[in-house]
Amino acid sequence: MARAVALLRALALAYRRDWTTLQSLAGNNFFLLTLFLLQRAGMFVYLIMGLVMFFPLSTDPLRKIPPSRIALWPLARREWWLLRLASPWINPMTWGLVFLAAWGAGRAITVGLWTLAAGLFAAVFLISALPLPRGGGMFRPVPAFPGPLNQLMRKNVREILSTLDFYCAAILSASVLAFRVLGADLPHEALMAMTVLVVGALSSYAQSLFGLDGEGGLSRYRLLPVRGWQLLLAKDAAFLAALFPLLLPVAPVAGFGGALSVLAVGHSPSVRHPREQARWRFTTGAALGNGIVQMVALAMTVSGILSTSLWFFAPAACAWVGSLWWYGRQLDNTNFS
Amino acid sequence: MISCRNLTRRFGDFTAVDNLSLEVAPGAICAFLGPNGAGKSTTVNMMTGLLPPTSGEVLVGGLNPAANPIQLKRRIGVLPEDLGLFDDLTVEEHLLLTGDIYGVPRAESRARTAQLLHALSLEHGRRTFAAACSHGMRKKTAFAMTLLPNPQVLFLDEPFEAIDPVTAKIMRDLLQSVARHGVTVFLTSHILSMVERIATQIVMIRKGQTVWNSTVGELPQSLEDHYFDLVETPVVEELEWLGPSRS
Repeated sequence: MARAVALLRALALAYRRDWTTLQSLAGNNFFLLTLFLLQRAGMFVYLIMGLVMFFPLSTDPLRKIPPSRIALWPLARREWWLLRLASPWINPMTWGLVFLAAWGAGRAITVGLWTLAAGLFAAVFLISALPLPRGGGMFRPVPAFPGPLNQLMRKNVREILSTLDFYCAAILSASVLAFRVLGADLPHEALMAMTVLVVGALSSYAQSLFGLDGEGGLSRYRLLPVRGWQLLLAKDAAFLAALFPLLLPVAPVAGFGGALSVLAVGHSPSVRHPREQARWRFTTGAALGNGIVQMVALAMTVSGILSTSLWFFAPAACAWVGSLWWYGRQLDNTNFS
Repeated sequence: MISCRNLTRRFGDFTAVDNLSLEVAPGAICAFLGPNGAGKSTTVNMMTGLLPPTSGEVLVGGLNPAANPIQLKRRIGVLPEDLGLFDDLTVEEHLLLTGDIYGVPRAESRARTAQLLHALSLEHGRRTFAAACSHGMRKKTAFAMTLLPNPQVLFLDEPFEAIDPVTAKIMRDLLQSVARHGVTVFLTSHILSMVERIATQIVMIRKGQTVWNSTVGELPQSLEDHYFDLVETPVVEELEWLGPSRS
């Protein structure tokens, strides 16, 4: 019994540390600016972010123990069952659901809504407990790109697909698509706002382009005989490739222009203050100032292209090229050190 | 092929490499030995252009790494200590990336990739992502990436550690083969038995300073004994609590 209790204690510690990485949301410039600008009107966006975060929050705590390690530990069958039954209670989501059931009985929370939340939680919990194929196989089918930076771009697309930012942008984009499929007419202002929101959801990632490469990846970048601007180009091309399908239901050209301005601003923190990021979390942006500049540049570019002229694409493209050249040179000089 | 003169690197008050001078001829296999923290990796980083020296000069293939970093990187292959792999690329994709970046024609790159995967017994794991590979597979992948562009100089940081004996022999044979073709190999290792078999030149470093530099034939005793005499003497401590009769 003491062994199982010791394991549960260690597991709780590991789980608590893992939960602190969820504070990444607080450093996500999209979330901060939505909170600042939309306040209570941003309920739709918060709901989407909450839904996106629900899945990584609902995983089985026992997954934290490597299977090879758990097989080696001298645990009796009784202790194993104790672990199995007690470990879900390490996850605060379990307590949250119990609280919701107790508090919501006979009030605003209906049985159906609670069942939906509990069912989703149970489904994610059970799926996460299954042994999944190792090696990120779900992102294997990323298509090849032309040119010598092909493999770097594929890798970069896979990195973007393992952040919650992408899925938040995808849900926003899908909601516009659903709205249009249902035959409703999207007002001009709404189209502009949704384009800004879709690009804005990925804007923090543009501030931390090298955050998921890890020490090994940065070490390889230092060894490759390529210029800094080529490394940034591979990052930007992957960003645009991942974003472009999401822009199709909104305003693709304006969104593309907005994405270029977001990248132009994002190069500076990406190169000068690289921040390590965690997978399946929201990207933590750099200083809030960067986020504000990004969102202002994004809003100006999108509204300029949509409301005035396609010529507003040109300054965004020029800013991006200039930023690519300048921060590429910085990368050559600093070498990530 | 590699020439260092009075190479020094300081980090604040700490001198990691102190006045190091050495010459490595084309086709030589030079083993750079020393305990952890002796300055081996710092020296390799200066030779490969990843770290500027505080003073002194280094030339690799006639190029100054600080002045010509891109030209130098095209001519050398480096197996870094942390292997330098991307979690989101498969074993095969790492090799194709190397071919693309070093300008190896696509068909040639694919042929070399297939040969290296076969030679290093990586064929079964070619579609495995680096994040899911065992340490041995990761090391073999990084080693294959080092060889694929056919570099003039190889820098290998602990290439034989944590790999199985068969792969170690294959790597040893490959290194001896490339050295016969004029490629210079500069390696660090703690496996002295392997070093004794493969190296033609031995350099020992202690606290950032060279304590020995000769050909293997000039060693006065076995490499292990000489290393213990010059670099560090092992201290064996008895752990009283170990053993079946004790609790």
